Amino acid sequence: MTRDNSSTSKTANTLSFIADRFPLEKMNLEHMLAHKEVPVHKMSWGYYTGGMTMFFFMIQIITGLFLLFYYQPTVSDANLSVEYITKYVSVGGLIRNMHAWSASGMILFAVVHLITAFAMKSFEKPRELTWIMGVLLLIITFTFGFTGYLLPWNQIAVNATKVGLQSVEDIGQYLPGMLHEVPRILRETFQGEASVGQSTLGRFYALHVVLLPLALAGLLGIHLLQVQVHGMSQGVDEKPKKQERFFPVFLFKDLTLWGFLFFILFTLSLCIPFESFLPFPLLAPYDAMGATPPGIKPEWYFFFVYYPLELLPFWVILLASGLIGAVLILTPWIFKGSSRKTLTFIATAVSLYLLIMTLFGEQIYHLLKH
Amino acid sequence: MPALDNFFLIALPYLAVVICLVGSYYRIKTRPMTYSALSSQFLESKGLMWGSLPWHIGIITIIAAHFIAFLVPGLWQALLSNQTVLLFVEAAGLGLSLLCLFGLAALLLRRFTSEKVQSVTSQMDLVVLLVLLLQVALGAHIAVSLSWGALWSVGTTVPYLWSLLSFTPDLSMVQDLPLAVKAHIVLAWVLILLVPFSRLIHMFAVPLEYIGRPWQNVVWVSDRRKEAAPQAFVEGEARRYFVKGGLAAVFGLSLLSVGVFDKIFRFFFGPRLTAHQETELMTTRLSRLEATSSQRKLELERQENDYILVGSLAELNSERGKYFIDYTMMPALAFKTAEGLPLLISAKCTHLGCTVGADAVDGKILCPCHISYFSIDTGMPNADSPAKTPLPHLGWVLMDTRGNQLVSYSGKGAVKGTLSEAQRASARVYIAKAHQIG
Repeated sequence: MTRDNSSTSKTANTLSFIADRFPLEKMNLEHMLAHKEVPVHKMSWGYYTGGMTMFFFMIQIITGLFLLFYYQPTVSDANLSVEYITKYVSVGGLIRNMHAWSASGMILFAVVHLITAFAMKSFEKPRELTWIMGVLLLIITFTFGFTGYLLPWNQIAVNATKVGLQSVEDIGQYLPGMLHEVPRILRETFQGEASVGQSTLGRFYALHVVLLPLALAGLLGIHLLQVQVHGMSQGVDEKPKKQERFFPVFLFKDLTLWGFLFFILFTLSLCIPFESFLPFPLLAPYDAMGATPPGIKPEWYFFFVYYPLELLPFWVILLASGLIGAVLILTPWIFKGSSRKTLTFIATAVSLYLLIMTLFGEQIYHLLKH
Repeated sequence: MPALDNFFLIALPYLAVVICLVGSYYRIKTRPMTYSALSSQFLESKGLMWGSLPWHIGIITIIAAHFIAFLVPGLWQALLSNQTVLLFVEAAGLGLSLLCLFGLAALLLRRFTSEKVQSVTSQMDLVVLLVLLLQVALGAHIAVSLSWGALWSVGTTVPYLWSLLSFTPDLSMVQDLPLAVKAHIVLAWVLILLVPFSRLIHMFAVPLEYIGRPWQNVVWVSDRRKEAAPQAFVEGEARRYFVKGGLAAVFGLSLLSVGVFDKIFRFFFGPRLTAHQETELMTTRLSRLEATSSQRKLELERQENDYILVGSLAELNSERGKYFIDYTMMPALAFKTAEGLPLLISAKCTHLGCTVGADAVDGKILCPCHISYFSIDTGMPNADSPAKTPLPHLGWVLMDTRGNQLVSYSGKGAVKGTLSEAQRASARVYIAKAHQIG
């Protein structure tokens, strides 16, 4: 056999891999809408988590476009323009509050979606790409949170961003040779100047309102196309006895759920300002000359990595996150042979960790530190 | 024409109501089979759906609104005193009357064109249809040309109706109303009069129990139809979902339209501030711009000058540092040592870059972000601090008022030069570009 032969078979393999993931004969409305069925079993609720994440994303787009009318991305005006929206613009406070609450909702449900999809083994062939797109979507969602946090340009925003960017740079000291400088260059690229300032704000703004939404929409398109083409994964070990039609039965249940979510979101945003969880000095406009007020911390959805970062040596966290990232991307191949029981066990352990760190991270930190 | 008014607005109403009640009772008792809508749905159903549904949805809502205004005028008026609600009610009323007109037109067309339906159509059916058409058209006309009827009717037609009900007829509130309104009232009495003589009588036979009873599904038992039964069942379920969801959406949207749309419109319209608010806002905006511009000036100053003034030596002390910005535009603190010399230390925490606090307690300053204490003498952090590397000391130069260098320190090594007591009072502390680069 010659090398030619093996390379042609490799090409053929790649082609058939792609053909299996994007079967053209299934890409029609008939197959993706009319004939699609959703299994009914005790884990069926897992099928709704993705839709809920998307619902919050749509809210983000709409409220974000509203905020775009008044927000001004300059260090002198950013904070004042946000205050102007909250104080003077009709329903401005509500819209901004919805944007904040819905951001949290989107991240919460994205994580729940990931965990349930993992437990239901929804990454099995031919759904590997769906899974990887999902992981990328989650990373983009977190980046949304990180970039959006800076935009109000208050004390906590700028200082938390400083901490975040500095953590990126600190990775460098653990990387060998050529890679040593990469995190510093990355940080300088995102920061744009010596300290977090106008250039940083401009860059974060561009990322938050243009680049990330485009990237997310594109990836989401592929993600959804894959879901509709391959149908819902089975989700349980035994073949489910009952199926329900995706259109209109499941879709209407989905919409009903979104209706409830909207009601909850609306009420929450109307009654509880998202900022009410922070003391005022942290919300004061950023002062480049003054001291940093105490209590700087990231949003709650970063607690799971933030508090361990405070407690453990940096390299441990770095190693762990590197490992977790790799495992997440390679999940479809690593857990190919695992039973759903094992997966559910892992998923439960991870959820427990996330819950405890998010809810009690601060207490654990104080307990161990003092 | 008081005589005509008296006849149409007092005699006719009593006559109509009496005939309606007595006639309907008589017809229901003696000819119960005709006590219905005499529906022709089996003869023709498509046209009926396009006519009957819009007509009944529209007219029932409109009549209900008329009744509420008549029964609880106080509450009605209180509700409508909110401009948004009034706008909504007026717009909804007009919209519904157009819906009714559409439905009536469809019904009329059906009566005129469908052969099957024509065979069961009586003269009275056509009369009723035409009177209804005229009545609704009049209502729509009033809604457009004499707007806010929902509100002015409370002071005109409502007292008139109550006067009739209490057998003390009083026309003073209605006799000067425009002809269209009077015609609308008269036609209403005519329609009531027609009830016992037409299919209008079906309004007494509304199957209200349908709302509460559990739904029923027709399942065929013959073999031929059996297979299709489960499918019909599923489709029925889906349709019910659709109807429920649709109703919820319509209800939600109408709630939204009352509470939200005008606010959203005003969101884009922009706030209209008072002069005071405007001034306040402008002042804040200007002060923020000035802060930014002073920051930029600092940057420029550091690019152009070899020495930057930190402050006079006399104002420094060992308890509370003075913030200044060093050559890299990072915050730093200036203290005074026990020997009376300046002590300049970076205020950028070596952990994650927060700005360290200015108060030195026992010779230590605190980074509030993650609780790192730094000794100002050595720069070293406490052993249990997250920060591991010391805050660097900065070099400085002491000059007298004429700009002569007295003492200098490069950040490392020894202090060069000495300071006399006389010079101490007027000495000023500078940072030097040379030290920063070195």
